[in-house]
Amino acid sequence: MNHPMDDQDNIVIKAEHISKSFPGVRALKELDFEVERGEVHALCGENGAGKSTLMKIIVREYIEEEGNIFIEGQNVKDLGIRGVQKLGLSLIHQDLNLIPMLTVAQNICLGREPVTRFRTIDWKAMRLKAAEFLAEVTSEIDVEERVEDLSISEQQLVAIARSLVTSPGILILDEPTARLDHKTSDQFFAFLERAKQKGLTVVYISHRLEEIYRICDRVTVLRDGRKIITARIDDLPQAELVKHMLGREITQQVPKETVPIGETRLSVRDLFPKEKGENIHFDLKSGEILGIVGSIGAGKTEVARALFGADPKQRGAIHIAGKEVKIDTPQDAIRHGLALIPEERRTQGLVGNESVRKNITLASLKKKFCVGPSWIKQDQEIQAVKESIRSLGIATPSTEQEVQFLSGGTQQKVVVGKWLMSDSSIYIFDEPTKGIDVGGKYDIYKLIVDLARQGAGVIFISNELTEVLSLCDRVIVMFHGQIIKELETEATNREEVLFYVMGGRDYAETANNSKGHH
Amino acid sequence: MQKQPITPKDIINNYGATFAFIVAIIFFSFTSMGFFSGQNLQNILVQSTSLGICAFGLTFVLITGEIDLSYGGVIGLVGAVLAGMIKEGHSIGLATLVCLAIGLGTGLLNAILVVVLNLPSFLATVAVMFMCMGAERIYNQGITTWIRDPEVLSIVQAYIGPVPVAVLYLFALFAICWFLQTQTRAGQYVRALGENISAVKEVGVREKLLKSMVFVAAGLIFAFAGYVETLRIGGAVMYAGKQILLFVLAACFLGTATFKAGKANFPGTLIGAFFLYTLLSGFTGLGMKFYLVPVAQGLILIISVAISSVRRGKIEQVQF
Repeated sequence: MNHPMDDQDNIVIKAEHISKSFPGVRALKELDFEVERGEVHALCGENGAGKSTLMKIIVREYIEEEGNIFIEGQNVKDLGIRGVQKLGLSLIHQDLNLIPMLTVAQNICLGREPVTRFRTIDWKAMRLKAAEFLAEVTSEIDVEERVEDLSISEQQLVAIARSLVTSPGILILDEPTARLDHKTSDQFFAFLERAKQKGLTVVYISHRLEEIYRICDRVTVLRDGRKIITARIDDLPQAELVKHMLGREITQQVPKETVPIGETRLSVRDLFPKEKGENIHFDLKSGEILGIVGSIGAGKTEVARALFGADPKQRGAIHIAGKEVKIDTPQDAIRHGLALIPEERRTQGLVGNESVRKNITLASLKKKFCVGPSWIKQDQEIQAVKESIRSLGIATPSTEQEVQFLSGGTQQKVVVGKWLMSDSSIYIFDEPTKGIDVGGKYDIYKLIVDLARQGAGVIFISNELTEVLSLCDRVIVMFHGQIIKELETEATNREEVLFYVMGGRDYAETANNSKGHH
Repeated sequence: MQKQPITPKDIINNYGATFAFIVAIIFFSFTSMGFFSGQNLQNILVQSTSLGICAFGLTFVLITGEIDLSYGGVIGLVGAVLAGMIKEGHSIGLATLVCLAIGLGTGLLNAILVVVLNLPSFLATVAVMFMCMGAERIYNQGITTWIRDPEVLSIVQAYIGPVPVAVLYLFALFAICWFLQTQTRAGQYVRALGENISAVKEVGVREKLLKSMVFVAAGLIFAFAGYVETLRIGGAVMYAGKQILLFVLAACFLGTATFKAGKANFPGTLIGAFFLYTLLSGFTGLGMKFYLVPVAQGLILIISVAISSVRRGKIEQVQF
C-alpha cells in the first residue's frame, strides 16, 4: 500500500535545490535533502561540507538564496524561527547557546517562561516545567543550579532538555556527543532510544562512525555543499561512508609508525595542580607520544594547564632534560620549549580576528623576527609563514586570511604552526581532534607523528581511545584527578583502557574472574 | 553536584564592594564628625537620588551589553528646558511632558543609531550627549536659571512624614527596575541579551525591538534624573549632566562588584550610588581638604573593586 499520497505524508523535511553563499564561499549548491517520519537520519560530511549551514537554513536562522524547504508539507519561506518551531522543529546547536549566569530552569524555559496572572514569572511553575523536561534526559542535575557551575557534559544535557520545551516532532542534534563523557553519553543514548520509540524524528550530525552505525537508520553525506548520497545505513559499509565524505579513499585512519625513542625530556614529580589533580607523576622521552585519557572532569586539561603555567599549582617539580625548571607562567613554559595546543582553540589558542601570519608568529616574534625592541622584520616573517603554510598544508587563501574564517582542522594547524615556529620541543595536545572531520584528523595524527620523529616529546590528551591506542606509545589513565594506571599501548587494548577510565581497579583480576564464571 | 560551604573569603570575593561599603559606614561613624546622624544620612540619601536614578537607566543598557552615555547631555538639556519653561510661565504639567518627550526622543535616537544603523553604542551615545549639550547651550545661552515657585520645587523637595520624596522616587524607581528585570519575561531576555545574543535569537525573541525598548526606557529615566536634579537644587546650572557623567558610570561599575557574578545589576548600582556619596560625606567630615577627597574616593573604589576581581577572573574562564 504505497500510494504517492502516503509517501508525501511520510516526508517531514524536504529541501529542494538549496543554494546559499557567504562572502567568498559557496556554502550550499543546489542541495536536496529529505527526512522521513520517525527515522534517525545521520548527516555526515567533513567540516565545511555545509551540514550546520543546511540545518540553520531549515530552522530559519539563515535564509537560502535559492530553493524551497517544506516542513510537514508546508513551505517555510515566510516563516520565522518561531514559525518553524510551531511546526515541531527544534535544533540543538553545536555551541550550546546557554546563558551561564542563569539557572538551569531559567535556561530551559528561556523564551517560554510560565507567567502568573500578573504577567510576572511564575518561578514555581518554571521549576516544575524545567524539571519535567530535564527528567526526560537526566535525573542528576538540579534545576536550581547555575549553568556556569555545571560541567560541559551536563550543560549539553541541559541544552537537549531545553530543546524539548516546544514538544518537537523533529529534533536536530548538531554533534551532541562531542561534549559528553562516558556517563552522560549513556544517559543521552537512553534518551534518544526513548525518543525514537515515541516516534520522534531525529536528524543527527556526527563525526563518530560508531554512533552513526549504532543509532541511525539512514545517512546523507554532504561534501563541498553538495549532497553526495543518501542511503540506508545497513547498505553502506563504514569504509564507503568515509570514502563518500572524503571523496578519496583513506587506507589507514591513523598513521602507525615507530619512531626511535630517546632520552627523558620531561619529568613531572608530585605535581598538584590547584584546580584539580593530585600527585601527578610521569616521564616523557623525546620521540615518545604519551597519551592521557580519562573521562571529562578527570583532570586531564587541568594537568596540562598547570604544567604549562596557565593555571597555578600547589606544588610539584618539573625537570626538563634533567634540569629542574620553574614554570609559573606560560612565558616560563615557552622559554623552556613547552607548547600547549588547547582544547578550546577558538578562545584559547588563536586570535580569531587576526591573520594566519600574525597567529603563527605570535609566540616567536620577539625571538626570531624582531630587530631591537619591537621592529618586525616583515619580509622574513612572511617568508617563514609561507614556509609553514606549505609544510603543514594549511588551507588558507593567503597569509593575511583571518583565522576565524578557517575550518576547525585548519585552525588547529595554525596553532601547531605557531609552536613549531617557536622551536618547542615538548608538545601538549589537548583534544586536538575534537569536532574535526576524518580528513582533518588524519592530518593532525600525521603532524604529531612528524613532531615525534623530529625528536619532540608529545603529550596527547584525548577521549577517543581508538586514536590514543593507535597513536601513542604509552597511555596514562586519569580518574578523579589522579593517575590510576599507566599502560604500554603494545600490551593493552580498548577494553582494558576503558575499564580504568571508568574507574576500575584491577583489570587482570576482573578479567580472570569473569572467565571463571563462564 | 555538591554544594560548597560558604567561607568568609567567598563573601569578600562575591560581595567585595558591599563589604567595603559597610566597613566605610562603620569607620566614618566612629571617626567622621557628625557622620552618623539622622540628618547627615538623610543628606547622603537625598544627594544620591539623581545620580542613582540616572545610574538605573545606564544599568538597564549595561545589562544588554551596550553602553549609553547620552545622559551626560540629556540631564542638562532637560534641566535647562524645565527651568526655562517655568520661568516663561508655562505650567509645570506641560514642562514635565516636554522633559519626558526629550527623554523619549533621545532614547529613540540612540535606539536608531545603535540598533538600526548598527553604530557602536559608545560612539553613538557620546555623539548624542554632545548634541544635547549644544542644544542646552543654545536654549539657555549659558546662563543659570533658577526656579523660585515653591509649589514646583515641592515636587522633589517635599517630605512625606519624615521622608524626603526625592528618596521615595529613588526607591520607587529602584523597585520598578528591579522588578521588571528579575520578575518579568522581558527582563529575563534583557539579561540574556547581554550574556548570549544567539541564545535569545534562537528562542525567537525579537532582540532588536527589545534592545530598542531598553534604550528608550533609559532615555526616559535619564530625563527623569535631570528633572529631579533640577528641582532638587532649585535651578538649572550649566552642563549639569557633565558633572555626574563619571559618577554615574562609577556607581554602575562599582555595582558590578557588590553582588556575585560581576555583572551590572540594580541593587549593586543602588549601593554604588550610596557608596560614592558616603565617601564624599565621610571624608569631608574627617576634615579632609576638598581637593584630597577625590583622591581618597578613587583609592577606596580601587580597593573595593580589586577585592572582588579574584572571583571575576574565574568567571572569564567559563567558556562555551
